[in-house]
Parts: sequence; structure tokens; C-alpha cells
Amino acid sequence: MEPSRDDFVIAIRSVFLKTGNKQKFSLLSLILFSIIFLILSNFNFKIINFNRAIIKEIIYFSSFVVNVPENIIKNSFSKVSNHFYYYEDYLMTQNQLQELRSKDLEKKIITYENVELKKLIDDYFIEDQQAYAKVLIDKESPFLRSIVINKGSRNGVKAGMAVYDDIYLVGKVVEVNFLTSRVLLISDINSKVPITIQPLNVQGIMSGLEKASGQLQYINKEELISNNNQKLIVVTSGIGGIFRSGIPIGEIEFMNISNKKKLIVNFYRDFSQLKYVRIASHTKENINIDQSNKKIFQKNNNKISVINNQAEDIKLLKQQKIINNEIQIKLQAENINLKKILIQTQDQLRKSSKKVIENKDKNKNLEFLELNLIYGHKCRKTLFRSNLFKVNTDEYRACVLRKGLIKRN
Amino acid sequence: MTEINNKRYFLYKYTPIFLLFTSILNEIDFNLQFKYFSFNFAYILIFYYSLKRDGGIGYILIFIAGLFNDVINGLPMGISSLSYLLLSAAAAYLRNITLRPNLIKDWIFFLFTILILNFITYSYLILFFNYEINYFNQIKNITGTFLSYFVFSYIFKFYNDFILGKFN
Repeated sequence: MEPSRDDFVIAIRSVFLKTGNKQKFSLLSLILFSIIFLILSNFNFKIINFNRAIIKEIIYFSSFVVNVPENIIKNSFSKVSNHFYYYEDYLMTQNQLQELRSKDLEKKIITYENVELKKLIDDYFIEDQQAYAKVLIDKESPFLRSIVINKGSRNGVKAGMAVYDDIYLVGKVVEVNFLTSRVLLISDINSKVPITIQPLNVQGIMSGLEKASGQLQYINKEELISNNNQKLIVVTSGIGGIFRSGIPIGEIEFMNISNKKKLIVNFYRDFSQLKYVRIASHTKENINIDQSNKKIFQKNNNKISVINNQAEDIKLLKQQKIINNEIQIKLQAENINLKKILIQTQDQLRKSSKKVIENKDKNKNLEFLELNLIYGHKCRKTLFRSNLFKVNTDEYRACVLRKGLIKRN
Repeated sequence: MTEINNKRYFLYKYTPIFLLFTSILNEIDFNLQFKYFSFNFAYILIFYYSLKRDGGIGYILIFIAGLFNDVINGLPMGISSLSYLLLSAAAAYLRNITLRPNLIKDWIFFLFTILILNFITYSYLILFFNYEINYFNQIKNITGTFLSYFVFSYIFKFYNDFILGKFN
């Protein structure tokens, strides 16, 4: 026991008291130093707080340096992830842009077609005069709801001109002074606007009801109520020629008032918040169809009818081609089936012919055996009849089949 | 060759110091936001290098690192220094009494040491400073440190053998 205790003491001493070139302080002295630190910090000693403050300063600067690589990694990771995110976003945006472009193109085509069709039915209006005006205060009005604008006859404003807020209908000019004009809002009870309800294409008249709504007149309400699941839009019909057709006004709302369904038009615009409006008048585009145009029109019509006929012929030919293709496919299938049947039949025939040959051989053998029983002794070579043949030789067989030796005359 | 040797010696000498101070300053307590895993990297580093090298990282540096850790974590000054120095003392004692090093024995001794150190540290904190300690987190941390020592000892060994080579 004694030497092991010595070893233990030596090891402990070596650990705690050893100093060297690298270590100026022994471990024991540092441990004591930290214990002193602990005790002093327990009593909230000034030196300790001072040390803490110094270390804090050092940590503040050094942690900044130490965190640089981590921050670089973090930043580069976030940059890369952002890059991927932006790339995905870019692809999505590009897709959306393409879709929107195609939609825009479609819209342009539809608008162009619409204009062309309207021209054909002589219902295409162009805005020949337009002006922008500021809304002034209106207090002394004979109407319930009207506004005064700062444009008058000096600016070319005439009675009956339509007034818009953006693309939505606001009202029409009812009084024109030299510098100002009065606009009757469509929310006024006296306002009567010919409307169409889309997409049902129902015609009617709308007059004002409240500040932000109108009521429908001369309309089959039951038809609309039956379609109350649809979103019904109210636009001007263009009947009467005051407003052009297709100006958006509002949407229809179905209301239950004392167990009765009522239809109300909610306007798209709040007329109490109007600041600037656009005044415009419309005229039909003049289409002069002279004699030469008529001829060209006739020629074009003829060409169209010829093209239509040709298109029908092509359609018929296409259908015939389809039918022919179907028949061809059926014939090919039948042909394949027949070929299969032919191969099977040929196989059967080959087998049958083989069987026939085998049967013939069997018959010959049987015949030989029968004759062998009867005439075998006439052909078999024996001790005394050495001129005859050995059994199982061809000569013997021929002899048996001949029913013995040929007698020479 | 001399230049390369100088660089190797520089790495040999300063890598553990750099790792120790980085882990403390960067607050890499290796509480890696895992719910059931955390470990004390400084314990592993100090124990390993005190065990494998005469003088280890350097007791003064360990003492300073402890003070830094106390300031960063808001602990009473000297508590981490004490635990780090005791840890390195235990490792140095093990080095002195060991004739044939064995990783498993080192590992078990490390567990024993960190259990005693944590007992001393937390007893002191509870008794004199009225600290509230989450025992579940401490058990989690001790277990994580104990298990990670095995892995890190291989990593440090690999670093010493294959990267530094000559100076071991």
C-alpha cells in the first residue's frame, strides 16, 4: 500500500504544482485564484466588477472578429437561398407575364372583333369631344343628387354629354353655363338610364334610389331572381342614343325585404367622393358604303361562300379519310388473323402428311410380318438351303414380299 | 521544409486555443437548437488536450477562457475557470497515472469528472447565488457531452495524426 500512496501523491503533486517554461503559474495557484475570484464576486467586489467590464469590452470586439466567418457563411447561405428564391420567382413571373401577354392579346383581338361587329351593325360610337373637369360644391340644386363641374359652354360642354369617373358612368350634363355645368348623377331619382343586364341580356331602365344604389324598372324580376346565383352586371344599353352601349354602372344585389326579394343596383363608384370627372360626347363612325365598296363586299361575300364550301368539302374529305383509315386498320387486323390461321392449317397439314407416311410404313411392316409368317421359311437361309437369304437383310425382306423365290421358267 | 514545419507547429499549438476561444466567444455552447441534444464543447476540448499533451492548452489560457465564459453567460466570475482548471487537473492526473492509454477508460473517467465538476459548480451556484437550474437540461447536456467526447476524440486524433502528423 505504501508505494501506491506515494505514486498517488507524486501524481497529484505533479498535476497541481508543476510549472515550466510554458506554464508560469501552477494549476493550484490558478485554482486558488479562481476561488478568490468567486468569493469576491459573491461579495460584489469593485475589482471584480471592473474586471467584468474590461472583459466585456474585450469580448465585444473579439466576438465581432470571431463572428466574421460565421456571418460570412450565414450571409452567403442567405444570398444563395435568396438567389434560388428569386430565380423561382422569376420563372413564375415570366410564366405569369406570358399568360398575361396572351390574355392581353386575346383581349385586343376580342376588342377589335367587337369594334368590327359594332361597325357592321352600325352601333360603333367614337368619343368626338372630351374634357376633364373638377367637381365643385353643390348645395342649391333642384335635383336630389347632382354635382356642378368647373367646365361650361366655353369649354365645349353641351347638355346631354355623358360624365364618367374613370370608365364608369356617373351621370349626364343637364345644365350648361358659360363656366360651369350641372351633372345629374345616375343615383338621382329623376335619372333614367337605359340599361342591359349581362350576361342575361335583359333590357330595362335604371333610376336612382339611394346614394350608392339604383333601382330597376320595366324588368321581369322573376327571371333575374331565378338566376340569382350568377353575378349580374349592369351596363348601359345604348338605347336612346344618349349614352353609348357597354358603359359599366354596377352590380345587382338581391335583397330580402319583408319576405320579398328586391333587386338593387350597387354602383361601382361612390359619387360622394368624386373629385375629377371626364365629360364626353359620342358620335357614330360614318361608314360610307359607295357602289364600289358594295361590289367589293359582294365579291368578298362570294369568296367567303366559296371558301366555306371548300372548307365543308375538306371536312367531308377528312371524315372520309378517317373512315378509310379505320377500315384499313380493320383489314390489317383481319389479314393478320388470316395469316395466323393459314400457318396453323399448314402445320396441321404437315402433321397429317407425316401421320399418313407413318401409317403407310406401318401397313408395309404389317404386310411384311404377315407374309413373313407364311413365306418366311421359303426365303430363310438354312443349313440345307444355302442359296436363300439371311433374316433381317434387304434380300430376305424382298423375298418375303415376293412370297418366296422367283420361279425361273 | 522548415517553413512547412513552422506552419504545422503553429497549427499544432494554436488550433485548440483558437477552437476554445471561438467556441466561447461565439457562444457555441453547441446547444444546437435540438430539443434533446446539447453538449459542452469546451469541456471536451480541454479534457482531450490536457490528457494528450503535457501542459494541455495552457492553464492561464484556460483560466482566461473560463472568465470569458462567465462574463458571456452571466455567471459569477471564476466559476467556469474553476471547473475548467479542475477538469484539466483531472485529465493531467489521468495522464500521469496511465501507462497504456485507452479511449474507453478515458471516456469513463471523463464522465466521472464532468459529473463531479457539474455537481460542484451547480451546488455552488444554488447555495451561494440562488440560481434556478433546469435539471433536465443539465442531464441532457452532460449526456450529450459524454457521448460527444467519443466522436470528438476520433476527430481530434484524425486531425493530429493526418494533418499535423509529426508533432504528436
